[in-house]
Amino acid sequence: NGGEIAPQAGNEAEVVWQAIQQGAEGRTTSLNEHHPQLINSYDLRMLDWRNDWLSYAMFFALFGMIAVFIAFIAINGISKLEKGFSGKMVYRWSKTDVFLHWLAAIPCLLLCVTGLVLLSGKFIIEPLLGTGAFAGMANVSKLVHDYMAIPFMLGWIIISIKWAKNQIPARYDLDWFMVVGGYINFGPFKGKHPHAGFANAGEKLFFWAFVLFGLVISVSGVILLFPNLVEPSRTVSMIAVLAHGAAAIVLCAFSIVHIFMATVMSEGGVDCMISGYCDENWAIQHHDLWYDEIKANGTLKYMEK
Amino acid sequence: MAQMKFMCDTKRCIECNGCVVACKNENSEAVEWGIQRRRVVTINDGQPGEASISVACMHCDDAPCMKVCPANVFSKTEDGIVLHDKDRCIGCGYCLYACPFGAPQFPKKSVFGGKGKMDKCTFCAGGPNTEAGSAEEKVKYGANRIAEGKLPMCAELCSTKALLAGDAGMVSDIYRERVVGRGHENAGWEK
Amino acid sequence: MQLTKKSTEVKAGALGLNRRQFLKNAGVTTGGIAAASMLGTGMIKKAEAASTDLSQPVEVKRTICSACAVGCGIYAEVQNGVWTGQEPAFDHPFNAGGHCAKGAAIREHGHSTKRVKYPMKLEGGKWKKLSWEQAINEIGDKMLEIKETSGPDSVYFMGSAKFSNEGAYMYRKFAALWGTNNIDHSARICHSTSVAGVANTWGYGAQSNSFNDIRNAKNIFLIGANPAEAHPVSLQHILTAKERGATITVADPRFSRTAAHAHIHLPLRPGTDIPLVYGLMWHIFENGWEDKNFMEQRAWGMDKIREEVKRWTPEEVENVTGCSREAVYAAAKHMHENRPGTVIWCMGGTQHTVGNANTRIYSILQLVLGNMGIPGGGTNIFRGHDNVQGATDMGLLFDNLPGYYGLTTAAWQHWCRVWDLPFEQVKANFDPNQYLGKDPMTTPGMPCSRWHDGVLEDKANLAQKDHLRLAFFWGQSVNTQSRQMEVRDGLDKLETVVVVDPYPTMAGVMHRRTDGVYLLPAATQFECEGSLNNSGRSVQWRQQVVEPLFESKNDLEIMYRLAKRVGIADDFTKKIKVTNNLPDADDIMREYTVGMRSVGYTGWSPERVKAHTMNWGDFSREDLQAKGGANKGETYGLPWPCWGTPEQKHPGTHILYRTGMNVNQGGGNFRARFGVEFEGESILADGSASKDAEIQDGYPEFSDVLLKQLGWWDELTDEEKVAAEGRTWATDLSGGIVRVALAHNMVPYGNAKARCRVWTFPDEIPVHREPLYTPRRDLIAKYPTHEDMRVHRLPTLFKTIQDKVIADDLDKKYPLIATSGRLVEYEGGGEESRSSAWLAELQQEMFVEINPADATDRGIRDGDDVWLEGAEGGRIKIKAMVTPRVLPGTTWMPYHFAGVMHDEELQYPESGGVSTKPYVVGESANTALTYGYDPVAQMQETKASLCQIEKA
Ligand SMILES: Nc1nc2c(c(=O)[nH]1)N[C@H]1C(S)=C(S)[C@@H](COP(=O)(O)OP(=O)(O)OC[C@H]3O[C@@H](n4cnc5c(=O)[nH]c(N)nc54)[C@H](O)[C@@H]3O)O[C@H]1N2
Ligand SMILES: Nc1nc2c(c(=O)[nH]1)N[C@H]1C(S)=C(S)[C@@H](COP(=O)(O)OP(=O)(O)OC[C@H]3O[C@@H](n4cnc5c(=O)[nH]c(N)nc54)[C@H](O)[C@@H]3O)O[C@H]1N2
Ligand code: HEM
Ligand code: HEM
Ligand code: SF4
Ligand code: SF4
Ligand code: SF4
Ligand code: SF4
Ligand code: SF4
Ligand SMILES: [Mo]
Repeated sequence: NGGEIAPQAGNEAEVVWQAIQQGAEGRTTSLNEHHPQLINSYDLRMLDWRNDWLSYAMFFALFGMIAVFIAFIAINGISKLEKGFSGKMVYRWSKTDVFLHWLAAIPCLLLCVTGLVLLSGKFIIEPLLGTGAFAGMANVSKLVHDYMAIPFMLGWIIISIKWAKNQIPARYDLDWFMVVGGYINFGPFKGKHPHAGFANAGEKLFFWAFVLFGLVISVSGVILLFPNLVEPSRTVSMIAVLAHGAAAIVLCAFSIVHIFMATVMSEGGVDCMISGYCDENWAIQHHDLWYDEIKANGTLKYMEK
Repeated sequence: MAQMKFMCDTKRCIECNGCVVACKNENSEAVEWGIQRRRVVTINDGQPGEASISVACMHCDDAPCMKVCPANVFSKTEDGIVLHDKDRCIGCGYCLYACPFGAPQFPKKSVFGGKGKMDKCTFCAGGPNTEAGSAEEKVKYGANRIAEGKLPMCAELCSTKALLAGDAGMVSDIYRERVVGRGHENAGWEK
Repeated sequence: MQLTKKSTEVKAGALGLNRRQFLKNAGVTTGGIAAASMLGTGMIKKAEAASTDLSQPVEVKRTICSACAVGCGIYAEVQNGVWTGQEPAFDHPFNAGGHCAKGAAIREHGHSTKRVKYPMKLEGGKWKKLSWEQAINEIGDKMLEIKETSGPDSVYFMGSAKFSNEGAYMYRKFAALWGTNNIDHSARICHSTSVAGVANTWGYGAQSNSFNDIRNAKNIFLIGANPAEAHPVSLQHILTAKERGATITVADPRFSRTAAHAHIHLPLRPGTDIPLVYGLMWHIFENGWEDKNFMEQRAWGMDKIREEVKRWTPEEVENVTGCSREAVYAAAKHMHENRPGTVIWCMGGTQHTVGNANTRIYSILQLVLGNMGIPGGGTNIFRGHDNVQGATDMGLLFDNLPGYYGLTTAAWQHWCRVWDLPFEQVKANFDPNQYLGKDPMTTPGMPCSRWHDGVLEDKANLAQKDHLRLAFFWGQSVNTQSRQMEVRDGLDKLETVVVVDPYPTMAGVMHRRTDGVYLLPAATQFECEGSLNNSGRSVQWRQQVVEPLFESKNDLEIMYRLAKRVGIADDFTKKIKVTNNLPDADDIMREYTVGMRSVGYTGWSPERVKAHTMNWGDFSREDLQAKGGANKGETYGLPWPCWGTPEQKHPGTHILYRTGMNVNQGGGNFRARFGVEFEGESILADGSASKDAEIQDGYPEFSDVLLKQLGWWDELTDEEKVAAEGRTWATDLSGGIVRVALAHNMVPYGNAKARCRVWTFPDEIPVHREPLYTPRRDLIAKYPTHEDMRVHRLPTLFKTIQDKVIADDLDKKYPLIATSGRLVEYEGGGEESRSSAWLAELQQEMFVEINPADATDRGIRDGDDVWLEGAEGGRIKIKAMVTPRVLPGTTWMPYHFAGVMHDEELQYPESGGVSTKPYVVGESANTALTYGYDPVAQMQETKASLCQIEKA
C-alpha cells in the first residue's frame, strides 16, 4: 500500500458508466434510502404491459363482464326455481358467515371500482369525464382503496380458512362443469341439473380463485401500502404493482360473475347471504347432495317464523 | 424547440454538494428538510476509480414516471421538461418505483397509506397550472428560472462546471468539446 | 454556463418573502415561534411566505462568500431589506459563478433563526436578556476592575478570521490601547506555522501565486491539502490545469476527494511530511533534476539540505512514511518533467509539532525545482477562513502588530505614529513590570491554541502578572482547540466569559458555569460592509447586503462602545469618523494602508478596492488582469504588495518574487529580511534581480542609509527627507523611500536569497521528528522530538510527553493514528454551518473513518456507534464510517461537530423563544485530540495523535 499511481486510461468513464448502469451503489449524503443507487434498472416493458394490456383488461373485467352477462341473460334467461319458492327456509350460513361475507364483499367491490380508477382511469375515464373530474376521482379512489384494503384482507383470510372445508373439490364437480352448472337454457345443456354438495363446482372455483388471487392481491397490496415496512426494492414494488393489477383483473372478473350468479342468475340465491337461510326448493335444485345429507343426518334446520 | 437536459461531467465533479444546496436555496419554499431534489453519489468511494455524479430528475424523453402515474400528474413542457402537478398527486409512489434515477421523493414517512405529495426536480421551471413566478408556485414548486430566461440553479452554481444544464444539443456539444479538448488548451472550461 | 441566459436580472415580484420581518419578530415574540421552530424548516418557510409582498423591487448587492479563503463572489438579491435570492456571479474572476455547498447556502448560512438575538447573560443558572448598554457597561467595568487588580494581561482578546480587515485592524488596535498582547485568532491553529516558516524562508508568509494561476501549472503537488472539500472552487482552476495536461500528485494519509482526481497518491503516515519531501529530493538530486542555476542565484544554505537528503534513501523513506520507492520516484519524475510546477499545502502540513519545519521543507522543494516567482509555480498555500489572510496581515496575533512589524519598540513606535498617539502614552497602558524576565509589551501573549493554559497553568509558570480572568471569544469557537476537557476547565475557571458572535458558540455552551457568561450578538459580514483578503492576497469589498438582523451589531460598533466604556475611545478613533457609534470602514482602511507598508498595502484605497469589486467582469480568469475598462492593466484585488500610493496605480503583485517582471508591474524577488550576510556568507541574491532593476544583483532593503549610499537621497523631496531620516522603506510614512526605489525599478524590501537555514529557529533546517503520540516507538530514538521549552509566556512540553507514551505504553493502548480535517458542508467549529438547515441536512452525524481491516478486528460495521478514546483519555461516542479512504492503522475525523461531550448533550440557551441549538450536534473531535505544539508558532497538533476505537 505504498502509493497509487492512477492508470491513465481513457476508458475510465466507460467503466464507471457500466458499473452505474448495472445498478452500482455509492456513498451519498442524502439519507433517502434509494439514493445511493444511481440507476435502478428493470425491464421497462413492464410499464407498457401495464398501460397497454392491464389497464384495458381491468376495464373489461368490470364493465366488459357486466356487458357479457347482460347479453348472456338476454339470450339465455335466468335460472328459475323449477318448483317455485317453497316458502320454507333452510339454514345454510351462520350469522358470522354472513357477516364475514360482507366484510370481504363490500370492500372487494369498492376495491374493484377504485382499483379500476387507478389502473385504467387515466386511459379510459379521464378522456371521457375530463381532467377535473378524474383528478377528484383518483384522489378519492386512492383513499378509499387504502382503507378498504384492511377489511377486505381480514374477511379474505378468515373466509379462506373457515370456509375451505366446504369447498374441497369432489368427483361430481367435473360433471357439473360438463353441463356448465345447468344454467344454460338451450342446446344440449338445457334442463340439466348436475349434482352439487354444499358448494357447487362453480362456487368452488370462485372460492379458490378468491383464495389464491386474494393472496396475490393482499401480498402485493401490502407491499404497496406499507412500503416502509416491507419494501425490499423499487423493482419489487414495480412488480407488485403489476401482479396486483393482474390479480385484480381475475378477481374482478370472477366477482362480477359471482354477483350475477347470486343475484340475477340464480333465483333465490341471494337470500343465503341476507338471512343465512335458503329456500328449500333452491337447496334441492342447486345443492341436492348437501340437502340430502343434512336431511339424512338431521342437521336440517328451518327458519323460525 | 429546446430539449432541456442535464449532464454531469464525472471528470470534474468533486462531490462538493454545491448543486444540492443550490437547489435547496433556490427552491427553499417548496423543498423541506429531508427532500433533496438533487444528490451526489460517489462510487468506488475512497479507492482508485472513485467518481462522483450529481443526479436529479433527468427529464426523460419517454418518461417512466409519466407512463406509470395513475393520476396523470406529469406533463412535458415544450422544452422537454417533465413537470408534476402537486394538486393531482395521490401519493401512490408508482413514479418512485418506475423512475430509474430515484428522483421522486415524498415528504411523509407514515406507515400507512399515502406518502404525501410527490416532489422532484422541476428543472427550475416551477409547476404546471400556476402562474410563473407567483407566490403559489414558489411554495409548491419553487423557482421558475426558465420563465425568467435563466437556467437551473444547480448547474449555474456548480463549483467546477461539472454539471451542465440546457438544451440537449448544446449540452452535448459542450461535453463533446471538453472530451475532445481534454489535454488541450482551455478544454471547454469557459462553458 | 451562459448558455441561454438572457439576463441576470430578476423580474420584480418573482420572489419574495419578508424574511427580515420574520426574523425580527422571532427576536421579540416567544412561544409561537418556538413552536414553529419545532416543526422544522419547511413549516417556517411556509409561515414566512404568508407575509410575502411580491411587488417589491429587487436590489442586487455584491458580496463575498464567508466560508473559505477562495473568496467567491456572490450577487445577493434584496427585496425590501430582505435577502431573498442569490445569483451566480458568472463574471467573478475567481469562481465564475461556481460555489460549493457552503457558498450555495450563504443566504441561509449565518441567517439562521438559531442566532443569538439580543445581548444575554447567564445569571444564577438562567439566561437573561440585557440591553446593549447594560451589557457593555457590565463588561467594561469588569475589565477595568481586572486591569486594576491583575493588570491588562488578564484580559484575553480572542479575535476572528471572519472579521473584515477593518474589524481585525480595530480589534488589534483595541488590545494595543488596552495594553496587552494577549490577542490572537484562529490563524494560530491554522497557518501560523506557514506564516512563520515561509516568511522566514523568503520574506512573506503568504500564498505566493493565486488560485487562478494554478491554471498555468504543469505539475501540481498537493501535500496535506484536500481542496476538493476545503477549497472546492479552487478545483475549477486545478482541473483546468489537469485538462491542459498537468500532472497531479496528492500526498495525504487518506484517499481524499482530491486524491480521486490525482495521477499519483502518496499515502504517507501522518506527521512524516519531512521525510517524504526529502525522499522526493533524494530522487531529484540523484537524477540531477534540480534547478542548479536557480539554487545558486536565489537560495542560500542548500548544502545543509543536500546533506540531510542523503539520509533519506528510498528505503528509509518507505520505512518512515510508508510510501513506496516507485510512487515517490514517479512523483519526483513528474515534478522534473512537468514544469512549472506548483506546491499546494494546507492543514495536513501545518498542524503539527513540526509544522513550521514542514512548511519550510515544502518551500525548499520549490527552490530545488526552481519553481518560485513564475506563473504556474509557487507555493500556493491555501489559507483557511474567508479573511484569515487579512486578519493575519492586521496582526491579530499574539506576536505581531499590523503588517508583521513584530512587537519591538520600533514596531510600536511605527504604529503610534500611524495612530497619531505618543508612544509613551500607549506604553503606559501596559503592565510595566517584567515576569520571568519578559516585558509584557514586547513579549508575545497567549496563543489561541492555549489560552486555557493561561487560565489553568500554575501562575508561577506564566510570564505575566496573573492568570487570564476575562476572555473575549469574538468570532472564534473554542471547540476548534484540541484538549477540549482542559478547554472546558478553562472556561469554568475564568471569571467572565464574553462571547461576541452571531451564535452562542461552545464558549457560551460547553462550560459548567451558572454565572458570568455574556453573549453579545455580532452581525455577520453580510450585515456590514468592509474589505477582506482572499488567500491569494487579493482584497475585495463586501457591500452591506442587509441591516444587522435582530438586535445584533456590527463588530466595529461593539468595539467602539466598549472602547468608550473603558475610556480609550478617543485614541481608538482619533483619525476615524464615527457615526452613531459606528466607525467608518473607509476611514479605517485609509488609516491602516498608511501603516501597513511592510506588506505593501499602501497602494490600496477604499475607492480602488471598490472599483475592482464593482467591475468583476473586467478581470481575466487566466491571469486576473483587467484587459480593459477603468482598471485596465491592474490585477484583480490589487494583491499585495501594491506599492506606492493609490494615485501611483500600482497594479498589485499577482505572483510574488517574480523576477521576470518589473516591480512596477508586479515583479519582485525574495525579500532581504534577515540582514545581508550570515557566518560571513552573503545572503543577498547572486546575479539575479527583478526585470529592469537598476542593480541586477542582490541588494539590501531600502533605508535612508542605502539611499545615501546609492546617491539617490536627493531624489526625495525635502519633506520626504525629514520623514525618511532614520527610517526604512517600511517605517517611512512619507513613502519617499519606496517611491525612489520604484523609480529605479527596484524592490523596496531588497533582493536576497531565500534561506534554507533559519538560524533563529529550534531546527535550523527541517528535520524529521516523530509526533509526540507516535505509533512508531522504534523511530523515537532516531527521530526524537524537542526538549521541553518555554515559548513566550508558557512552558511547552515535548520530550516529557513522548517519554510518557513509552513509559505508559500509550502506543499499545491506543494503537490507531487519529487525524482530523474538513467536510465540504461544514465550516470551522461548525456552530454556524450546522445552524444552516440546508447544510445540516447533508451531514447529520459525527463519525470517524476507519479502515475495513481495523473495523473487522473490532467487530465494527459501517454506521455502527463506536467509542473513540484519545490518548489522553478524552472519549467521544460517534458513528463509524468503514471506508478504504484511510489506510489500516489510521483514522480520520471531521472536526466540525460540537454540542455533545462524552455522549452528553450540552444545553444551549434559548434566544427570542428559539433554541440556539444547531440543527445538528455531535461530539467534537478535539475532545479526543491531545497535547502538542509547534515550538515556533504554538500551532496545535490536530493531525497526528493516537486513539483506540471500540464498538459502543
Ligand atoms: N468545507 C470547509 N472548507 C474549509 C474549512 C472548513 O471548515 N470547511 N476551513 C477552512 C480553513 S480554516 C482551512 S485552514 C482550510 C483547511 O483545508 P485543508 O487543510 O485542505 O483541510 P483538512 O481537511 O484539514 O486537511 C487536509 C488533509 O490533510 C490530511 N492530513 C492529515 N495529516 C496529514 C499529514 O501528516 N501530512 C499530510 N501531508 N497530510 C495530512 C488529511 O487527511 C486531510 O485530507 O480549509 C478551509 N476551507
Ligand atoms: N481537530 C481539528 N481542529 C481544528 C482544525 C482541524 O483541522 N482539526 N482546524 C483548525 C483550523 S485550520 C482553524 S482555522 C480553526 C477554526 O476555528 P474557528 O475560527 O474557531 O472556527 P469557526 O467555527 O469558523 O469560528 C468562527 C466564528 O465566527 C463567527 N462569526 C462569523 N461571522 C462573524 C462576524 O462577522 N463577526 C463575529 N464577531 N463573529 C463572526 C461564527 O459564528 C463562528 O462562531 O479550527 C482549528 N481546529
Ligand atoms: C379485490 C381486491 C383488490 C382489487 C380488485 C384491487 C385492485 C387494484 C387495482 C386495479 C389497482 C391499480 C393497479 C395499477 O394501477 O396498476 C390497485 C392498486 C392498489 N391496491 Fe389494490 N386491489 C385490491 C385489494 C387490495 C388490497 C388488499 C390492498 C392492500 C393490502 C391493496 C392495495 C393497493 C395499493 C396500495 C394500490 C396502489 C394504489 C394506491 O396506493 O392506492 N389493494 N388495486
Ligand atoms: C352484491 C354482491 C354479492 C352478492 C349478492 C353475493 C351473494 C352471495 C351468496 C348468495 C353466496 C352464497 C352462495 C351459496 O350459499 O352457495 C355468496 C357466497 C360467497 N361470496 Fe358472495 N356475493 C356478492 C359479492 C361477493 C364478492 C364481491 C365477493 C368477493 C370477492 C364474494 C365472495 C363470496 C364467497 C367467497 C362466497 C362463498 C363461496 C360461494 O358460495 O360461492 N361475494 N355470495
Ligand atoms: S422522474 Fe424519473 S422517470 Fe420521471 S422524468 Fe424524472 S428521471 Fe425520468
Ligand atoms: S405518487 Fe403522485 S406523481 Fe407519483 S405516480 Fe403516484 S400520483 Fe403520480
Ligand atoms: S434544476 Fe432546479 S429544481 Fe432541478 S435539481 Fe436543479 S436546482 Fe433543483
Ligand atoms: S456542484 Fe458540481 S462539482 Fe459540486 S457536486 Fe455538484 S455537480 Fe459535482
Ligand atoms: S466556501 Fe470557499 S469555495 Fe465554497 S463558495 Fe465559499 S468561498 Fe467559494
Ligand atoms: Mo484554518
